[in-house]
Amino acid sequence: MTLFLWLTLQSISPEGAQHMQAGVEAHKQGRLDVAIAEFRKATESDPTAAQAFLDLGETYAEMHDYAAATAALKRALELNPDLDAAHLELGYALLSEGYAAEAIPHLERVHAIEALGIAQIETGQYRDAIANLNAALLKRPGNPDLVYYLGRASGLLSKNAIDTLLGAYPDSARAHQAMGENYFVLRQMPQAEKEYREALRLRPDIPGLHLELGLVYAGASQWNRAEQEFRAETKLQPGNAEAAYRLGTALLQEGNAQSAHKELERADELKPAMPETLYSLGKAAALDGDAAGAEKAWRKLVEIEKESSLAAQAHFGLAGLYRKQGKAGEAQHEMHEFQRLEGKITPLRDDSRPN
Amino acid sequence: MRFGINRRDFLRWSALAAAAPVFEVKLPRGIDFTLQNSPTPQKYLIETMPGGVALFDYNGDGLLDIFLVNGGRLRSPMPTPENFDRRDPRYWNRLYRQNRDGSFTDVTEAAGLANAGNGNYGMGVAVGDYDNDGRPDLYVTSYGKNILYHNNGDGTFTDVTEKAGVAGGGWSVSAGFFDYDNDGRLDLFVTRYMEWDTKHSKICGGDWHTYCPPAEFPATTNILYHNRGDGTFEDVSVRAGIAAKKGRALGVAFADYDEDGYPDIFVSNDGIEQYLYHNNGNGTFTESALESGAALTADGKPLSGMGVVFQDYDNDGRPDVLVTVLPRELYGLYHNDGDGLFSYRTLESGLGVLTSGSSGWGVGLEDFDNDGWKDLFVAQSHVLDNVQQIDASLRYKEVPLLAMNHHGHFERVESGVTTALAARGAAFGDINNDGRMDVIVTSLGAPPVVLLNRENSGNHWLSIKLQGKRSNRDGYGARVRVNGQTRFATSAGSYLCANDKRVHFGLGAAEKAEVEILWPSGTKQVLADVRANQFLEVREPEHS
Repeated sequence: MTLFLWLTLQSISPEGAQHMQAGVEAHKQGRLDVAIAEFRKATESDPTAAQAFLDLGETYAEMHDYAAATAALKRALELNPDLDAAHLELGYALLSEGYAAEAIPHLERVHAIEALGIAQIETGQYRDAIANLNAALLKRPGNPDLVYYLGRASGLLSKNAIDTLLGAYPDSARAHQAMGENYFVLRQMPQAEKEYREALRLRPDIPGLHLELGLVYAGASQWNRAEQEFRAETKLQPGNAEAAYRLGTALLQEGNAQSAHKELERADELKPAMPETLYSLGKAAALDGDAAGAEKAWRKLVEIEKESSLAAQAHFGLAGLYRKQGKAGEAQHEMHEFQRLEGKITPLRDDSRPN
Repeated sequence: MRFGINRRDFLRWSALAAAAPVFEVKLPRGIDFTLQNSPTPQKYLIETMPGGVALFDYNGDGLLDIFLVNGGRLRSPMPTPENFDRRDPRYWNRLYRQNRDGSFTDVTEAAGLANAGNGNYGMGVAVGDYDNDGRPDLYVTSYGKNILYHNNGDGTFTDVTEKAGVAGGGWSVSAGFFDYDNDGRLDLFVTRYMEWDTKHSKICGGDWHTYCPPAEFPATTNILYHNRGDGTFEDVSVRAGIAAKKGRALGVAFADYDEDGYPDIFVSNDGIEQYLYHNNGNGTFTESALESGAALTADGKPLSGMGVVFQDYDNDGRPDVLVTVLPRELYGLYHNDGDGLFSYRTLESGLGVLTSGSSGWGVGLEDFDNDGWKDLFVAQSHVLDNVQQIDASLRYKEVPLLAMNHHGHFERVESGVTTALAARGAAFGDINNDGRMDVIVTSLGAPPVVLLNRENSGNHWLSIKLQGKRSNRDGYGARVRVNGQTRFATSAGSYLCANDKRVHFGLGAAEKAEVEILWPSGTKQVLADVRANQFLEVREPEHS
């Protein structure tokens, strides 16, 4: 920085150099108003000093005065189009002001992929935005802002595709499916049912449609109809674990413990170690009189998920199981775990630990 | 066997589908009551909760009479002190005497029941002969003060609340008489919902403007009154352990679930654990629902418990529990497994598919077709009068649920009620003494609905009226076994209501019955070769 400043100062007038130095000092001290005044005087005493305009623009940007920053940075680039730092600052300043399209060339030039991805969302370039934001996330994994923008870009890309589908092929099965999904999210179940039904009429072989329609019925507790749809889905997709799980839970709700037990065992085989499946499997096994099976499923669940509400439910189920088996100690322990997870009691103090 | 349906099932279902409705819906001549709940924009919770009804023979003529509890007038907003205009005849509770021709006569004023107190918004009713004089007395619960009416035996009642010391206070809901210490005198249990008053009421639901859920208000305790035998009662709630737990109680039912000879108490709570008060036999109770497996669903979730019935639905001789709740939950059926344990049997019993979209209040397990299995009737309606705007799949007004019991599995049949109701209370009894159990349902802002049983299977029946000697005169708490079925004698249960105290059994094709009565005194009485199709009065032997 010292060398860079010395080189810069060599290329401008002595008076301008004096103001530049004063500006840099003031900036270091956080006196941004003074720095701006000094950098402005430097640009007045040497109107061709690109660096002075860059420093002025940067300082304006720091003060969130993006309009003033933009003007100064543009002037800097007029004087020196190769000033990468000015491209970067100008790109951010323009983006901050909402001029995403204008910001993009500057951000592209300096490969500022984070800001570029955000700008591309604003200009509707969702695929490019997703690529840039994914690349940025590799460098800064888990950054909440980047994750948010990636999610937003993906959602908008999806919406764009659906809008295209609905606009171009409004009577297609897929359009009705998409509408059904929209209504389902909005909890407008009669409309969702109608759309799914129409989609199924047009193309009964689309995988997932029966499952989605079944979920509409399950949400309205129409278990018999839900069962029919889930069963149809399992016929279409015998390897779909979710379809098997949903069918199992519908059968369970209908009190058909034996069939539910079988179907949930199948779901567990297709996709092992799924907590929801294990919980329902335990419940179905218990209802079916298979206490050992219930215990096995619930035990496995609490190994996978130690602190969740599903784990609490599994502990509650185990407590009931042990109580019936006359295992009072085990039942009490499981009930205690249930109550601890439900927040009804504080955890037991471990007296064996040294204070 | 495709789709899991076999030929026999198909034929049975076809027969059910073709069957005529079980009940004839009618409002008998002479009943001109409208349940005045007075809904307001303030969404005062009390206005969606009444009202009770009792089926009892107040004048001893052998015919069931009807007592209906009214709400009261609410203003928006309510001034202080609260005045519910209960002196205005529109807001009276009403007693209707049944005439020989099946019509009814309003005898409210003559009976001395017109004044329910301007400060009391009516809720429910309990019936029991607390002074063992052979005449059923009335206990009316309210938001405000409760009233005990002593039956004078001359067609009139006297308000003896002050002397008896049973006014309660706060917001009382369901109540019931039972003899918890087997001293031969009926004690009284009163459920209370929550700490709430019109001054501290709230409106919930944001723009939807709804009644608030119970969790918005502090929980409260229930009351147990011990009958001293001199016309007064003592509040023993604390000493007996009842007040040790606060709750949000709406329903109460009694039965001896662990066969230790002492009646236990099941309290349905709204939005929290259900309470099972085990009677320790020494004047105290231990709340043990969680340990017994009757507090929560199979998933460990609380129920929005409202009505409750405590009878044996699967003929294994042990009383089970059925709790009615709001939709998206399932009516909780807790099967008594013996050894003091219950298991959640809602799904296996078929109630999962029958009840998930409904809200249940008054409930009864009665053998409507006299086939020897207790069927299920539930008065249904959502608590929110605008629920349909919030969730299009739900309804405020619903038709009642009638589900016939096929060896412990329930299947819906046509009740005969085709108009949806804002139903609350449901009381059960043989109103026209034809050997078939009838129902009366209360409905907010509407007249009651009387459901006269027209089931025509030709099955036989037996109705037993108990008369205790060493036990309480009503025989409440007696375990009555007839041809392998069991009933626990009580008029309590349901929601806010009091049922016909006679113990009804369907006998199927049997023309004779073996009757075994285990009285609260411990006396066991056996009657062999009892003829079917009769109203049998059984007196407890003087000596065991």
